[in-house]
Amino acid sequence: MRASGVRYLLGQGVENIWKNRMMAFASFCVLMISLLLVGISVLFFINITSMVGGLEDKNEVIIYLQEDTTDMEISDLYGQLSRMDNIAEVTFYSKEESFEDLKSSMSDYEMLFDSLGDDNPLIDAYRIRVADISRMDETLAQIGALEHIEHVRAPLDLVQILTELRRIITMVCGVIILALIIISIVIIANTTKASVFSRRAEIQIMKYVGATNAFIRFPFFVEGMITGLLAGVGALAVTWLGYDAMIDLLTQETTFMSIFGMTSIVPFEDAVMPVTIAYLGAGTLFGALGTVFAIRKHLNV
Amino acid sequence: MIEMRDVSVVYSGGVDALHHVNLRINDGDFAFVVGPSGAGKSTMIKLILKEINPSSGSIFVNGYNLNKLRRRRIPALRRTIGFVFQDFRLIPSMTVYENIAFVMRVIDAPPKYIKKRVSYVINLVGLSDKARNYPNELSGGEMQRVAIARALVNDPQLIIADEPTGNIDPEMSYEIVELLQSINEIGTTILMVTHEHNLVRQFGGRIININQGQIVFDEIVGGNLINES
Ligand SMILES: Nc1ncnc2c1ncn2[C@@H]1O[C@H](COP(=O)(O)OP(=O)(O)OP(=O)(O)O)[C@@H](O)[C@H]1O
Ligand SMILES: [Mg+2]
Repeated sequence: MRASGVRYLLGQGVENIWKNRMMAFASFCVLMISLLLVGISVLFFINITSMVGGLEDKNEVIIYLQEDTTDMEISDLYGQLSRMDNIAEVTFYSKEESFEDLKSSMSDYEMLFDSLGDDNPLIDAYRIRVADISRMDETLAQIGALEHIEHVRAPLDLVQILTELRRIITMVCGVIILALIIISIVIIANTTKASVFSRRAEIQIMKYVGATNAFIRFPFFVEGMITGLLAGVGALAVTWLGYDAMIDLLTQETTFMSIFGMTSIVPFEDAVMPVTIAYLGAGTLFGALGTVFAIRKHLNV
Repeated sequence: MIEMRDVSVVYSGGVDALHHVNLRINDGDFAFVVGPSGAGKSTMIKLILKEINPSSGSIFVNGYNLNKLRRRRIPALRRTIGFVFQDFRLIPSMTVYENIAFVMRVIDAPPKYIKKRVSYVINLVGLSDKARNYPNELSGGEMQRVAIARALVNDPQLIIADEPTGNIDPEMSYEIVELLQSINEIGTTILMVTHEHNLVRQFGGRIININQGQIVFDEIVGGNLINES
């Protein structure tokens, strides 16, 4: 195809939008809202995941060691624990340390400790943090296989709740996103249908004079993609403004911050590249897909 | 050139629209196709354009074997044919010039050539002073001349007109046939379907009469004097 042909077809696509501007505007709006909702769901998902991740990072497994374990064996054990791939952090928690902690946490009952004198009834332990709590069982089994371990205390309730939470969030967001994608495509398909209808006379003439199918379809493609792209730009702008405003609001909300910590909110700047690409890409893609379905059904070329 | 060998068309409803038709129209011919309503004239044209396929028999048009022509090659076939509709089918939002240039653009013709060629055909159909007018500012005869210019502009080997005079005054009809004849003299094959026996009688030439899906008469007759058989 010559350059003048491409220019002509692009022009026709833009003209389609103008001729069909009410429908184009309506589908721009619906598509923008859909993209926004998809975007918000995704950002929500990213943040929830990040927050759950923050909670997960607070997991702590305590491994109590047998009383007669030698210093040598304790440091051996350190090496073995650190080498396990799902263990993110290992700290030794000596019985002296835990005794001091216990004392300070129960300072009102100092007398009780006085009677113990230097006798320390506690035992040495390792505190570890697991990297991926969904693999907790596997890791516990590995730890259980080591020697000199008295017993292990793991936050199994937390693991279960968080794993379940993650699963539900993923599913809900997935369903919402899928539904919105379908809605967007249907909307664009309808606009294309209207556009094809408003050009049916031209299309018929084109078929009779031997225009190729590609030539007949292309302007509608352009129309769908431009509408989608513009919707993507609109959604991006709204998301950016809205997200920053929301972060400001949340940062002032101290209870929220104390639970999840500032670090668990993903700043928009961090996500700007993927979000931009996703919005523009998704807008253009939905526009193109909607058009393809409509063309196949209504253009019949 | 058009050639049909033993062509039959049975529509899905069971209508036997064409029945073992044999026909040959050579390059440079001018032929009228006449016959009563429902005889199968439009069906024959649809076959030539490969809008429909025959139930049996073979068809050759401008060097293409339509039985073997793949769907995606249909545009190539249609570029060798110009089509004129009874109801003109001009685009109301385009001027005369744009209506004609449009069909060159959509087959990706070079822009420079489009200008020259459109001016040439507008001149040929005698509408140079109406090039910037819109269809609703034209008479029926003028609109049909625009449609003929549009059919001609891509320089087809064959022009098919399905009742081109059906929607215009009898005096205008005469002009339209004259125009088609002058195009034929330049070298384009013309196939014109019509109901108007008077017109055919006046002009004469090759007349193909179809009735109930069969060719009942196919001969060259002299103009003006002759009665239809
Ligand atoms: N798509 C179709 N499906 C079923 N039957 C059809 C179809 N098109 C035409 N027919 C039938 O085939 C027969 C021939 O129709 P055709 O349109 O070829 O006639 P025609 O000679 O062009 O008539 P007219 O002069 O009225 O235009 C008619 O009986 C018509 O009803
Ligand atoms: Mg007919």
